[in-house]
Amino acid sequence: MSMFRKKTLTLVSSVVLIGSLLAGCGSNANNENNTAGNATNTPEKPKEKVEISFWHTYTDADAGPITTTVENFNKSQDRITVKMLGNQDPTKQLTAISGGAAPDVLLTYWNNIGPWADAGAVLDLTENIASSGFDVNTIIPAAMDRMKVNDSYYAMPFTMSMASSLMYNKAAFAEAGITAPPETLEQLFDYAKQLTKKDASGSISQIGFIPDYPWIDNVFWPVLYGGSWYDEATGKVTPNAEANVQSIAYQRSFYEEFGQSQIDKFKSGMGKRGTAQDPLLTGQLAMYVGWEYNFMPERGEDGPIGVAPFPYPADQPELKGSGMVSPRAVFIPTKAKHPEEAWEFMQYLMSADTQVQYSLDGHVIPTITSVLDDSRLLVEENKTMWSFYERAKSENLNGFPNSSYIGEYLQSLSEETEKALKGTLTPQAAMDAVAAKIQPIADKK
Amino acid sequence: MTEQHNNTIGIRKRERKLLITGLLFTSPWIIGFLVFQLYPILASFYYSMTDYNLFSAPTWVGLDNYTNLFKDDKFYLSMYNTLYMTIVGVVPHMAFALIMALLLNAKVKGQSIYRTIYFLPTLVPAVAGSLLWMWLLNSQYGFINLALEYVGIAGPNWLIDPDWTKPSLVLMGFWGTGTITVMYLAALQDVPKMYYEAADIDGASKWRQFWTITFPSISPMTLFQLIMMLIASFQYFTEGMVFAEATQSTGGPENSLLFYSIYLYQQAFSFLNMGYASAMAWMLFVVVMFFALVIFKTSAKWVYYGGDK
Repeated sequence: MSMFRKKTLTLVSSVVLIGSLLAGCGSNANNENNTAGNATNTPEKPKEKVEISFWHTYTDADAGPITTTVENFNKSQDRITVKMLGNQDPTKQLTAISGGAAPDVLLTYWNNIGPWADAGAVLDLTENIASSGFDVNTIIPAAMDRMKVNDSYYAMPFTMSMASSLMYNKAAFAEAGITAPPETLEQLFDYAKQLTKKDASGSISQIGFIPDYPWIDNVFWPVLYGGSWYDEATGKVTPNAEANVQSIAYQRSFYEEFGQSQIDKFKSGMGKRGTAQDPLLTGQLAMYVGWEYNFMPERGEDGPIGVAPFPYPADQPELKGSGMVSPRAVFIPTKAKHPEEAWEFMQYLMSADTQVQYSLDGHVIPTITSVLDDSRLLVEENKTMWSFYERAKSENLNGFPNSSYIGEYLQSLSEETEKALKGTLTPQAAMDAVAAKIQPIADKK
Repeated sequence: MTEQHNNTIGIRKRERKLLITGLLFTSPWIIGFLVFQLYPILASFYYSMTDYNLFSAPTWVGLDNYTNLFKDDKFYLSMYNTLYMTIVGVVPHMAFALIMALLLNAKVKGQSIYRTIYFLPTLVPAVAGSLLWMWLLNSQYGFINLALEYVGIAGPNWLIDPDWTKPSLVLMGFWGTGTITVMYLAALQDVPKMYYEAADIDGASKWRQFWTITFPSISPMTLFQLIMMLIASFQYFTEGMVFAEATQSTGGPENSLLFYSIYLYQQAFSFLNMGYASAMAWMLFVVVMFFALVIFKTSAKWVYYGGDK
């Protein structure tokens, strides 16, 4: 008897489940039909609500500001509902956009746009930009350029993510008798020496600066020297341009000064970044390359961390204010079911008001030039961001050119730069190796 | 003659009926196999002959992916790293597991507690275990180097020095030998006690007993473990990935942690070279097959089955 009941129950619940699934499909189909119909409808008629899906990379801990943004959008109009899904790393995004059920809008890292766009997975925004009168010139050029693949824009830079600052431990500076942050790269090197301490056994106990901490940055350093990676005139990759090689030689000089094994050993003992044991906070490390989101509370006027523009090569003062931009990008997959609504949501994300609010909530730099001076941002509570807004206006900001082979290119740059930093190859030989490896791939694509 | 013929037909009919019933009962598995295993296997073989980026239609390139593979430095490097883990890792891990199994098989008070404790690490997910070990292996404040320092040895820079990154992983591997040990333990308990009794009467030493009784008796288990570990080792991924990420790179210091499956993953999902990645997967299949065959062929010399004379 009870067995029978169980069976019936299972049967009934399966039927209900399947039924509701089918109903879900049905209503979706209805939605689509309605939207399609609405395009030709007269504007007075109330439009059916369209639900679009939006995926982003933020984890639950950082998703607060983007959640607020989406909620505000949903409240702002009654036609589109955005459903958000967070914590979607690039692999999950790739699986989704290559499969049948692509989300309508995704927020991802800028460097995914090149390969995905080239493979035909990303909607070319040229038409949308033209038909809606969206002015790409209002966006900070260094950020907008990252969205360009084969001369078309495929995405919009939602945030800047800019490395053009030097962050330093104020106490370490005071102790070494240094009164102002370094202005040139040569000074940075000198200060790093003064800020490095060794214990009785000759091991480093505090270090001034490590050029490849937290990682080998194959874009930031060449940018500082005015480097480049591609020559549009000749169609050749240029990792071995003089400026690029110089920038690696400069980083190598730190290893020559302090010793490879010494730095490695010290580095492995440094506290975890972004925690209370962050080496810059503890003073283990005196200076490092800073992004706008680093040390938010600690870089206030009374805080332990100082912020300054990143130094420039002494003999090239025209490169003052250089820095790297690596935005988070929003894009529409070609397989999106509601590209029009997705574009509307994207425009909302790129509107001045959203950018201002998101900058206040998420402590990021807005990517619209005019917003950098917005009075809503220049309030006392937001003071730690002011200097970043200022630096975001620099004409010397740059980044890596987006392309289909960007993954291979960046990987190869990292591998060869590592060899140059360890001294197994000269910087020139290392970068020549990158050119030799990448040129055939670039020619093929 | 006719009768016989009729009979055969009768049997055939019944057999066919049974066959259909059997097929119906196994159909969930058969369908699952066809859709989720056979089809992907065949598809990947097809893709390995194409240029495919997941989105646009694949274009036929014949054997290009395979020939390019042999010109790819990182193919050799990743194969070397993987073989290193197989050769340096598998045998010591098995030997260690066997020693632990022998110890855990001894009649000691509280043995079940020891067995549980020893098996516990196997339950820790690979990522969590790797993070824990990165902490133990830290060259400045990690437990292992502190212990080494205590006996007067300056420990290496485990996670940063490319010469030591793979040994770090091998070292960590000992921690996860619980499963192999449990299986060895089962095999050990199957060895007939009478052999030992006879050997005791003959006055054979414990060492002698191990080599002439224990080791041959459990050799089928050793063969099984060797094959399984070989396959697992060739697909080494998670731990290497976690260790490499600690140095903020895909392949670890100087690509010393670029294992074959990590490179395959990189080609597939970072560079979107699905065709190339498929070819890599097939190469891996061939290599694993080769090693498995070699082991099987030589196993006749060292594996003894219960039914053998």
